[in-house]
Amino acid sequence: MSAIVGVGAYAPRFRISAEAFEEAWGRFDAAGVNGKVVPAADEDQLTMGYEAATRALEAANVGAVDWLAFASTTPPMAEEDLTARLGAMLDLPEDVGRHVLTGSTRAGTRGIVAAADALAGGISRALVVAADAPRGEPDGEIDHAAGAGAAAFVLEADGPARIVDVAEHASPYPGSRFRGTGESTTDGLGVTRYDRRAFRETVGAAVDGLSVDPDAVAIQAPDGKLPYRAAGDLGVDAETIASVATVHELGDLGAASVPVTLARALADGHGSILAVAYGSGAGADALVVEVDGPVSTALALDGDDPLGYAEYLRQRGVVTAGPPSGGGAYVSVPTWRRSIPQRYRLEAGRCPDCGALAFPPEGACPACGSREPFEPTTLTGEGTIEAVTTISQGGAPPEFSDLQSRAGDYAAAIVAFEDEGGETVSAPAMGTDAEADAFAVGDRVEATIRRIYTQEGVTRYGFKIRPAE
Amino acid sequence: MRDAYLIGAGQSDYGAFPAESYRSLFSTAFDAAVGSVPKGLEPGAIDEAFVGTLGVGGRQLGLPGPAVTEHVGLDGVPCTRVENACAASGYAVRQAVAAVRSGMADVVLAGGFEVMSDTSSDATKYWLGVSGETEWERLSGTTFSGVYAQMASAHMDRYGTTREQLSHVAVKNHANGAKNPHAQLGFECTLEDAMAAPVVADPLNLYHCCPTSDGAACTIVASEDVVDAYTDEPIRIAGVGAGSDRVGLFQREEYTTVPASERAGESAYEEAGVGPDELDFAEVHDCFAIAELLAYEDLGFCERGEAGEFVASGATGPDGRLPVNTSGGLKSKGHPIGATGAGQIVEAYKQLSGDAGDRQLPDPRCGLTHNVGGSGGAAVVHVFERQPIEEVAR
Repeated sequence: MSAIVGVGAYAPRFRISAEAFEEAWGRFDAAGVNGKVVPAADEDQLTMGYEAATRALEAANVGAVDWLAFASTTPPMAEEDLTARLGAMLDLPEDVGRHVLTGSTRAGTRGIVAAADALAGGISRALVVAADAPRGEPDGEIDHAAGAGAAAFVLEADGPARIVDVAEHASPYPGSRFRGTGESTTDGLGVTRYDRRAFRETVGAAVDGLSVDPDAVAIQAPDGKLPYRAAGDLGVDAETIASVATVHELGDLGAASVPVTLARALADGHGSILAVAYGSGAGADALVVEVDGPVSTALALDGDDPLGYAEYLRQRGVVTAGPPSGGGAYVSVPTWRRSIPQRYRLEAGRCPDCGALAFPPEGACPACGSREPFEPTTLTGEGTIEAVTTISQGGAPPEFSDLQSRAGDYAAAIVAFEDEGGETVSAPAMGTDAEADAFAVGDRVEATIRRIYTQEGVTRYGFKIRPAE
Repeated sequence: MRDAYLIGAGQSDYGAFPAESYRSLFSTAFDAAVGSVPKGLEPGAIDEAFVGTLGVGGRQLGLPGPAVTEHVGLDGVPCTRVENACAASGYAVRQAVAAVRSGMADVVLAGGFEVMSDTSSDATKYWLGVSGETEWERLSGTTFSGVYAQMASAHMDRYGTTREQLSHVAVKNHANGAKNPHAQLGFECTLEDAMAAPVVADPLNLYHCCPTSDGAACTIVASEDVVDAYTDEPIRIAGVGAGSDRVGLFQREEYTTVPASERAGESAYEEAGVGPDELDFAEVHDCFAIAELLAYEDLGFCERGEAGEFVASGATGPDGRLPVNTSGGLKSKGHPIGATGAGQIVEAYKQLSGDAGDRQLPDPRCGLTHNVGGSGGAAVVHVFERQPIEEVAR
């Protein structure tokens, strides 16, 4: 048996409405989508996954797991084990079992099924993270629907939300939604009836053998209409789907579609939930979740920063020029790696001689000059702004000029970060998640992890600050 | 210990000169410095050289010193490149003083150069930012405008310093620079102009920031043993002070002072046996308007927190109690990084020699120059005194 004991979900703050698309294009191709999420320029699937995972771990009130899966159809790297970085961001042990699932929008539920199998096989606690932000050609249905979001689940052998049954089904239906190797946008042939049949047949067959009378259905939603066409195949009414649907406000969440919707169903207190994921190709997963007690959830799916269509193109980097040719500050990858405990987890140092804090924890003690190695100590991520500026157009270093073209002015601050005992040590940090003028001397902030910059094809992630919740 | 004297100093124009090279600019400054020695100087008498440059553009990162000294015919003269970011040639002059005082050399050339206008704006920003703390400070999204803006934000928060007070620095320095034929931005501006400029890094606007510049400056330092061969009105380098600090602003205890400047100032005053009250003028490092205000406080021109009011009162204007940056400062005269420190000393030499043209102060006898690298990772201060030959220590 396996059960969900903690749930986290995250969606970036930016939204674009169907009307904004209609103004720009004269039409909006994503049926049933009223608006959708737009990731900020410094966000990607890994950072969204981190946001959801920290919330799930906090909701479950656990620090460590011994199994980790990361699922996305659009991982920021096509080849490279992103769970190594995600594990370090979450401070998971280095011997945790790791799995990256991709290639299908049912990658998220594959992660949950694999976790259930692993729990049956004897591991004690699993973390499944699904994060996605699909991309299509700007004038097509897939891109119009494409949203962004992430969900994460902590699973144990037993708990309040038990996964009581699992089934899957696959049948060859090529061409309904695909992305060739090396391509950046997802495409489909648009054979409407064929696509619809692939969807209905596989999800229907997956659910067929299950015994369930759900009061909520979390079903794959590439747009806001297709899920309802399968209602009859699932033996439920439209309201059972609509009551927990996320696609109408968040858009197509790809591999995170069912996970985010399942997270909402659990947060809403539903007792019997059917989760049905579909992946082109075509295959479907069906999971029955029976809830007999309160499930701890932490969802951050609200966002109310509307973008116009031009801003949308800017944030997504569609109309910006990319990094400048003049080169940027060079911090070698080996040098960056040495600082990962600081970049990801704000690991400071305490002087063994005088007890002062140092950040980064290297070199002579700033207080007493001692050369004794610092004792590692982790800062809480909360702090107060000591000095701050807004970097305006043209004022950014070249390695940040692409970010500035996309995201606009940003705040750069020096923050007095606190340790558990309330002592502080200062570190510089870029502002995120809010307008630049939302950061002033004396303001309370908290750290999160975002993309810092990309050089030599390698994205460097690290902490930034946002206004404290 | 032998005393060191400033016997000559000269500079090229500061600005953007597509027709010039770093060597030709240095050559111009060298000729001006040699030509300024009152009783003349045969370049063959120069027995040591120190050249400051950051190396913007990477055009000659290794051996830029000999590349310019050989170009001006100082055949075989030992030359050392000095690098301390924007304080490179201030430190080159300090090295020259040390060489003279130690007895290693009798006549030393100390200068600097930079060419910044022939690279793309992105490449220039890359080079400007390389003197900040790279791993953390730079990668939080700042170049120096951002770091000094953070200092300004802290000063404003702590002391109530205003944007208008910052703008007074620009108005004063532009008024001075308008009288300096070498100045890059030699025009006057009104307080309204200075207040209305576009924001670069809030709270700093364009008029709170110095330009990027091409230029070179040279000084010639001589020992007490030979000074009377070159001048009858020697200018003694009465005090030299220097200090270093952590390169990243966030690594310092406070953001409203530049401890390296304070340290450099204290040492220079002590060595010279003077205090800020004895100064007749000062050239301070005003790469950003807040930097000039911090210099007032760090060098003891006014009390902590009062620099904004001090500049607004006119105390540091040409007719004020302590004229500051009569050359126009980095703001108006320009800031070719490696040349800046030596260029400040060119102004000191001209003022003390009575050769400062329209901006000449009435009979100054004691002046100070203050040169800062980065946001305060290095600073160097010199105090100069004019004295008649009979007072030269033997």
